Amino acid sequence: MKRVISDLALGVRLAVGGSRKSWARLALQGVGIGLGVALLLFAASLPSVIDARTDRQAAREIVAEGNGPAPLLAEHQSHAFRSDYATGYYLKALTPDAPVPPGIDRVPGDGEIFLSPALARLLDSPRGELLRPRFPQKVVGTISQAGLQNPNELTFYAGSADIREDDNAVHGWGVARQGGGMHPVLWLLSVVGLVVLLFPVLVFVGVATRLAAAQRDRRLAALRLVGAAASRVRLIASGESLAGALAGLVVGFGIFFGVRPFVDRISINELSAFPSEVMPTPALTLTVIVAVPVLAVVTSLLAMRRTIIEPLGVVRDQKPVRRRVWWRLVPVVAGVALLVSQIGKITQTEKPNQWPVVFGIVLLMLGIPVLLPWLVERVVFLMKGRTPALQLAVRWLQLDSGTAARVVGGVAVVLAGTVTLQMMLAGVEQEVQAKEKKQAAFHYLSVKPRQGADTNGIAAALEKGRGVTALHRVEQAWGQLDSGGYVTLNIAPCAALTKQATIPNCTDGKAYSVRESTGLPAAQAGDVVTFRHSGERWTVPAVEVIEGTGSIPGLLITPAAARGLVPFGTEVFVELDPAVPDAAEHARNAMAGYSWQVYSYFGGQDDTDEAERVFGVVRRALLAGSLLTLLVAAASLLVVALEQVRERRRPLAVMAASGVPRGTLARSLLWQNAVPLAISTAVSLATGIGLGVLVIRVIGAEVAFDWAGIGLITGIVVGLTFAVTALTLPSLRRATGALGLRTE
Amino acid sequence: MSLLRAEGLTKSFGKTHALEGAGITIRAGEVVAVMGPSGSGKSTLLHCLAGILPPDSGTVHYGDRELTAMNDGERSELRRTEFGFVFQFGQLVPELTCLENVALPLRLSGMKRKDAERAARDWLGRLEVDGVADQRPGETSGGQGQRVAVARALVTGPKVIFADEPTGALDSLNGERVMHLLTTAARETGAAVVLVTHEPRVAAYSDREVVVRDGRSRDVEFAR
Amino acid sequence: MNTPGVYTVCIVLPMSIGHALLGLLESGPRHGYDLKRAYDERFGQDRPLHYGQVYSTLSRLLKNGLVTEAGVEAGEGPERKRYAITDAGVTDVERWLSTPEKPEPYLQNTLYAKVVLALLSGRSATEVLDTQRAAHLATMRELTRRKVDGDLADQLICDFALFHLEADLRWLELTAARVDQLAEEVTR
Ligand SMILES: Nc1ncnc2c1ncn2[C@@H]1O[C@H](COP(=O)(O)OP(=O)(O)OP(=O)(O)O)[C@@H](O)[C@H]1O
Ligand SMILES: [Mg+2]
Repeated sequence: MKRVISDLALGVRLAVGGSRKSWARLALQGVGIGLGVALLLFAASLPSVIDARTDRQAAREIVAEGNGPAPLLAEHQSHAFRSDYATGYYLKALTPDAPVPPGIDRVPGDGEIFLSPALARLLDSPRGELLRPRFPQKVVGTISQAGLQNPNELTFYAGSADIREDDNAVHGWGVARQGGGMHPVLWLLSVVGLVVLLFPVLVFVGVATRLAAAQRDRRLAALRLVGAAASRVRLIASGESLAGALAGLVVGFGIFFGVRPFVDRISINELSAFPSEVMPTPALTLTVIVAVPVLAVVTSLLAMRRTIIEPLGVVRDQKPVRRRVWWRLVPVVAGVALLVSQIGKITQTEKPNQWPVVFGIVLLMLGIPVLLPWLVERVVFLMKGRTPALQLAVRWLQLDSGTAARVVGGVAVVLAGTVTLQMMLAGVEQEVQAKEKKQAAFHYLSVKPRQGADTNGIAAALEKGRGVTALHRVEQAWGQLDSGGYVTLNIAPCAALTKQATIPNCTDGKAYSVRESTGLPAAQAGDVVTFRHSGERWTVPAVEVIEGTGSIPGLLITPAAARGLVPFGTEVFVELDPAVPDAAEHARNAMAGYSWQVYSYFGGQDDTDEAERVFGVVRRALLAGSLLTLLVAAASLLVVALEQVRERRRPLAVMAASGVPRGTLARSLLWQNAVPLAISTAVSLATGIGLGVLVIRVIGAEVAFDWAGIGLITGIVVGLTFAVTALTLPSLRRATGALGLRTE
Repeated sequence: MSLLRAEGLTKSFGKTHALEGAGITIRAGEVVAVMGPSGSGKSTLLHCLAGILPPDSGTVHYGDRELTAMNDGERSELRRTEFGFVFQFGQLVPELTCLENVALPLRLSGMKRKDAERAARDWLGRLEVDGVADQRPGETSGGQGQRVAVARALVTGPKVIFADEPTGALDSLNGERVMHLLTTAARETGAAVVLVTHEPRVAAYSDREVVVRDGRSRDVEFAR
Repeated sequence: MNTPGVYTVCIVLPMSIGHALLGLLESGPRHGYDLKRAYDERFGQDRPLHYGQVYSTLSRLLKNGLVTEAGVEAGEGPERKRYAITDAGVTDVERWLSTPEKPEPYLQNTLYAKVVLALLSGRSATEVLDTQRAAHLATMRELTRRKVDGDLADQLICDFALFHLEADLRWLELTAARVDQLAEEVTR
């Protein structure tokens, strides 16, 4: 045991080496692995963040049942404001000990309001000017973290004496939490995102521990020569990797705690979180702390399985072993097969069997770094150097294509993942935008007064609103068909109906049935509707089937055809002047006095900006993430290139001394970096696009290509190649200088 | 009584037959020069003798133990405790200081750092290179580096020192200095030296020579 | 200064003509004139033998019983006599070949002759060279020992000798490396 520790310590000693170069190597490993560790820690915090969020959400659910009279009345209301929603409760305490909702210290009295910090900020800012009329109450406090789902949530608790007892009794707050479902597509997107983000991290941890492998092999050979047995050399090598992994852990925790305070600034609500909650679960933290060093040690041991470190390595270069291809193809083939088997299995609601998809993606991603060394070897083997520079590069790559392939393997995974994500984003984005475009054609605000609200008063208030050109009242009723389906009945004169649907020659006395997305009309003549509120039954008269436009579903019935039908509610369609900016907000403000009593929905609301913003943020985050990873990969490429120059200092110096122009040597360095990178870029683009197509097929969405993004990433890779080569030039100059001819 | 005895060694690298039935006997404490034309298999013979390269056939005995039948662990142990190595270059670990390099075999054998470094400093002194103790090998001259390597080969008190062109990269004055220090120290500690060289003046530090030609060796015994 | 005799510059031709002629006779009886021609061809590039030298050497060898007359052809003069090597002669050649020359500089003529004669008679030239290198190395070893134990003057004198001997040894090695090539040329 003591010997094991002392061997590990010797490995650590070798890793820190003492020279500036080995410190630089260690620092690079530390930063590289550290970035990975930080990412892993954030990922490991997700469960606690989601957990806490779900808990808080459950804690502010209303308990509607209880003994005796209700102590509190509550009306839920969502104030739409442009593309945001300020959602909260209007409350009326009936007893002094009425239950207080989480996040505030008392139930607000009449005309008082508690705001969430984000809503308070919005109302204070010029941006929130048009929202202010809807919150005339006196602000008496801020909702604390306990009452918020996320730091950017727009929410409030207002007191209102107008609330009448109805079915809005509150006996308490907080229900047992139930598992929240995630949209399957979103879920898949996150799975791919996580895999794509985390997998390169793992690859990089592997690569980082194997930086300067050739030099390490020589160093270990020297140890073998003085009589360290193979097992001990492995232990010492493990010690070396351990040093890098430990440095990485320290850096990683540093980055994690450094970045954590800023997570509440993330502008996408769903992604923002309270810093105090971003805490990896103990089990996952432990996993990271253990897994990273273990991974580092295991990869370096696995890598050493190939290059048996023999004492003779001191004097002779081992001939590299030819790589075999068959097992390298296994992950790729298996991954593709798994994904193909899932095509069409995911629908809008049904969660796909997650494991085949996850495994498929992981396997395909894994296939890249596994296949690349073989591919680079084969390609390089077939290449012939036309120019002396290319020949030098090719010959070197033939001798040691592994190191280069490993480094670019990391790059390739990032690239492939980025391309895939970009494609998925592009696909989803296209769909969302198409939908938004379709809706943007409507300029109606649909207003639904609550049961018992003063509909006439509301209508009168609306008429005075800025930008309001007309009002159409539609009486409504809801009922169940005998077939089990639900149907909405809309009763209005033709003048109102034709504004909401395309009805060819509408005449009073006719009824129309809107074709639903299933292709069938909402109801047919002879169907019997049972009304929920009264229990009465009504037979559907002859109907004409019309194409729906989305704004009113169900049956459209002219007053003459609605005989015997007692409407239950009213919906007011407010026609707005498209020329007046924010007409919808002005209209909403016009009826601000009715606060919780009315619900409005703006069909023409232009959400494309919002979609653009969300996608923009996601795209930027993705780009930043992949750039960061690419930078790390470039940094490791740089280290490898520098090590190469260092390792081959003598031959380089001899060549320079014997008159080989430095330009030739520099170009050979460029080729050395460019050839593997070109191969890996090609492979990763192919894999990325292939994976993208497969995953999109699995979702069942349109395939779209984000050529600009792909081009950008490819351009960056090319740029990095040049940058890395340029950064190696000073050391090449030094190596080819007089000092280069020294040994060791 | 022979210390190290090899018989009928053959070794091929692909189509190259490096050794074709070579044999050699080393007695305790003697300095034997292995000479012969380039490519004749001298280095290969040395590597086989030292157990760092397994021969295709033939046997190597160290005392009454058969080296060629040992496993890697045993051979490693033997290298650590009984053998020492001096090559033309490359045997020092560039990341460690000269002192740490010399102390390395002792530490691998489990000696405490302080004791190991004391012994190492002592040997550096005997080889007149205590001045470079805290420098790394890359910062020393070729001659100093070789003397550090000799110190490291001798520090464990080995029975055999294998030296392959130890002076190959040095000028004649430095080369002879290294040879003088090496042979003197070896004679003082009773270590045998197997010395591969093609420099007659270096070979002249030996007690006798073995000539390798085309993978076959010939003992040339000459009256002392 | 205790190094006299270690190093004597030989100005005289160290070559033993007698052994050379014996060696040449090993491949079959020859006339004196033939012998001179064969000798000149192989060893006498810049210094051909006089007839007188040939005949005086032959008569010495005859007297010592190393050669015999193997018949006389018609005509006058010694050039008509044919000589053949005796068993004693063969033994003498063998002994000569296997005895290393005293390690001294400028031995190449003798050594070269030995190598050529060994090759001509199908003996191992490598062995001749190895024997010689052993002798050289033994001397070098002796000198090295003296050098290591001696003062600076000893060291300098020994080094002078060592460098010269080293040059010879290098020549020996080089020749050894080219023995096969030489064999082809001599026996052609
Ligand atoms: N690892 C190897 N792979 C292939 N061939 C080898 C290897 N090691 C030695 N050889 C070949 O074996 C033969 C003997 O090599 P070795 O190094 O023993 O010669 P040497 O006598 O030490 O030569 P030199 O004096 O030049 O060092 C050579 O032809 C060499 O090419
Ligand atoms: Mg060699």
